Amino acid sequence: MKRTKRRLDVTISAGSMADIAFLLLIFFLVATTLDKDKGLMMQLPPDVSPTITEIKDRNLFKIHINSSNKFLIEDEMRPDLEGLVAEIKEFVLNPNARPNLAENPKKAIISIKTQRGTSYAFFIETLDQIKEAYYQMYGEKLGLSSDEFRKLDRSDPSKSDMYVFARSGLPMNISIAEPDLFKSL
Amino acid sequence: MPDIVFLLLFFFMVSATMKQPEDHVKIKIPPAHALTKVQKQFLIKELHIGKPKNVSFGIGYKISAENQIIQLSDIGHWVETQRASLDEAYKNQMIVLLKADVDADMGLIMDVQQELRKHQARKILYRTLEE
Repeated sequence: MKRTKRRLDVTISAGSMADIAFLLLIFFLVATTLDKDKGLMMQLPPDVSPTITEIKDRNLFKIHINSSNKFLIEDEMRPDLEGLVAEIKEFVLNPNARPNLAENPKKAIISIKTQRGTSYAFFIETLDQIKEAYYQMYGEKLGLSSDEFRKLDRSDPSKSDMYVFARSGLPMNISIAEPDLFKSL
Repeated sequence: MPDIVFLLLFFFMVSATMKQPEDHVKIKIPPAHALTKVQKQFLIKELHIGKPKNVSFGIGYKISAENQIIQLSDIGHWVETQRASLDEAYKNQMIVLLKADVDADMGLIMDVQQELRKHQARKILYRTLEE
């Protein structure tokens, strides 16, 4: 008597492998972005001989970073940038009309001064905080968070209008002071 | 046979990492949060600031453009060449992407910015990583 031995078929069906591979390939093609186009944008001033403009001290928010990476914010020594975002917002908007803060948001200027020997990381950190403060103010005008504001799609006309409205009357005046020519000994 | 090819494709797709373009300087990009995104990527021209990998270029921070170590005085020439590569309509919209190391000296970066200002390349994008 001949018995056919039933064996389990152990081969994996690979018929749909090609389809899966192409789906994956297409997924990665679409999902991969090279984010080399992201960063902190800054407009440098034109190269003309400096003109002397009177700026009232109350309209200027001064941030100095010295060569040993110590902060001096509004003439006060600081170990770090804790609370800077809130301070800048209060300075620019001046909700309680304090005499020592900016007259109005249009006149407010945030100034960063670095020295030779300051580390780039500290400059970027400061600039980031200032930008964050402004984006929060723009967002608050529209009832959005700063992240939501920055993700507004400006190719959409209604969103573009929102963007323009938020930025109107609240210019991001960030000034980078001229460098010292020589390292002070 | 095709199965084997696809299995290989899978394997390499999963195991492959993106190769960083070879550069003369070593750069660790600083992190930041409030990033802006550039819509027209072709406007971006890159300048790198970092320590040379090859010590024969020196040990201090150097500027690198187009995979070459350049001097501060060469920046003007670099700006002109880069601007010439753009279409007429976009010539004054060039964005200089400054990719600098976290520990780079602000003095050098300020010097670079002064040089860029002199040559009317005033839009700067500081390359940062998303936090």
